[in-house]
Amino acid sequence: MRSRMHPKFYLSQEIFEREQNKIFRKVWLFAGLKTLLPKNNSFITRKISGIPVVIQNFNGEIRAFENVCLHRNSLIQSEAVGCRPLVCPYHAWSYGEHGEVKNIPDCRSVYLISKAEQQKMKLREFSLRAIGNVLFINLSENPFPIGEQFRPHVIEMLESSSNLYDSEVMQTTFHCKFNWKLAYENLRDANHPRFVHRTSLANDVTFLPFVNTERAAEGLRALPDTSPAALREEMKRFSMAAAEAPLSNPKRLPFHDMVERWGSEDSYYNWLAYPNMHIASPNGGYSFTLEHHIPIAPDRTDLEIYWFTTRKKTKYAFSSWNLLSHMHGSRLVTGEDIAIMEKVQAALHEAAPVPTQGEYEFQNRLVERWYTLMMETDHEI
Amino acid sequence: MKSRWVVGGGVCLEQVFGTWTRTYPEEQIQRIELLPNDDYAFDLSALNALDPELGTMFVAFDERFGNFKRMELMQLVMEKGFRLERFVSPSAIVPPDAVIGPNVFIGEGVVIGIGGRIDFNTVIRDGARLGAGVHLRSSCWLETGVLVGDDTDIGAHSILRIGAVVGPRVKIGKHCELGWARLYDQNIPARTVFDTRYEEPIRVYGD
Repeated sequence: MRSRMHPKFYLSQEIFEREQNKIFRKVWLFAGLKTLLPKNNSFITRKISGIPVVIQNFNGEIRAFENVCLHRNSLIQSEAVGCRPLVCPYHAWSYGEHGEVKNIPDCRSVYLISKAEQQKMKLREFSLRAIGNVLFINLSENPFPIGEQFRPHVIEMLESSSNLYDSEVMQTTFHCKFNWKLAYENLRDANHPRFVHRTSLANDVTFLPFVNTERAAEGLRALPDTSPAALREEMKRFSMAAAEAPLSNPKRLPFHDMVERWGSEDSYYNWLAYPNMHIASPNGGYSFTLEHHIPIAPDRTDLEIYWFTTRKKTKYAFSSWNLLSHMHGSRLVTGEDIAIMEKVQAALHEAAPVPTQGEYEFQNRLVERWYTLMMETDHEI
Repeated sequence: MKSRWVVGGGVCLEQVFGTWTRTYPEEQIQRIELLPNDDYAFDLSALNALDPELGTMFVAFDERFGNFKRMELMQLVMEKGFRLERFVSPSAIVPPDAVIGPNVFIGEGVVIGIGGRIDFNTVIRDGARLGAGVHLRSSCWLETGVLVGDDTDIGAHSILRIGAVVGPRVKIGKHCELGWARLYDQNIPARTVFDTRYEEPIRVYGD
């Protein structure tokens, strides 16, 4: 069966911009970890759908604003993670917890901005929701409830696990030469690990592709309801949370005794929050890797990788080196995925063959049905 | 006859044993390989026959886990009552005012500048050159040929890989790994890792 995914969906700048407007600026997106915002004035910054965003703790209230000063458009916070008041470094305009302009040095003598005018000025604020320690942002002016994007069991499992995340977090970024959708198609493909990760991940975990003929057939039919509510409902199916595969040979590591454990199964856990976050716990709930996919261009995706354990029982001196050994271990697997996806992207051109899809790829088929409708019609969520 | 025991593993074990065997022919130099088991712990039973009163010991091990495995072995032998020696290669240049801690390794041709301070359990591999007033804190690992400029401070458990050039007057935080062959002329926050397998530095936030 031919996929619906014409090569243009991975190559076209016009489609990339349509995705940004119709998906990324409408849905709930992973924005950061609450564990990185432990105290007053702690902040994280990032670009989300091209917009600079600062997420800052104001005496326990966590809020998200456009990270652009209203005076000369400078970034207000420039570090990726830090702790300082919301004050622009350019001319020291300061902002309060609702994004209001708190103070403009020498306002009355230099700027001649009236008090009334100053009171009208406010940073653009974005909706933010925490599921446990995972923060989601919505860039829309009228965001739909986050419960309309994720099923209750996804929210529950994400909340339960992330409440046990440790506050020490390792992070790096890979600049990948592939379209963001390839990452999610790959993540839903249980048939690739035995080939792509033959000598790495597949040694520890057995992923078994399975066929669901009913779903596969459903994916071939047109969506019965294309109303915004129905399209949001459909989108719920694209995110998941589950113990995906048993560990072949669970290994006891010294750090396991130093952290609490989430869950009790010796399983490879997966959380997929479409369209920009994937979390895995490859060792049955002792540590987690979070992958944040940031579309940059049709053929460019930044992949932010986070590693953290579950909460420490007591601090131990080598904890950052423990995280580094996790990072290096996953670098191998992530590198294998990046390499294969970059090969796929490199082979794409406007007249490239449309992929041939197997029945085991029923989940991708359901996503494609929704995605192509969104891209090729005026239907919205 | 005085004994000197070189325990642990890796290239430093062989280097210390070989150098001491040549340098101290009148002493009993013994090489004892101690490597972690499958459960990552050291089995010290090979030390049971030794009397700590009869000699000194040098613990040689690689930089794995930010030099924490070498420190773990060092602490274990100290708990058994062994006194730790330092190793300074005869070809190294170490000024008289340098302060060198226990279980420090200073390899062939290393140059330490005046006023240098090398804290315990730090390894400086062959050919590394340190300017004046450099402070290497405990359990660091400097690879062959690393250059460190004057008055630079390297945090504990940091690793400087081949090709790293640091300073002058730079502060490298603890638990860093400078693995990109380049000049590091700005302060580096603690727990920052530059590794050639990664396009961006790896950072650690929170605790």
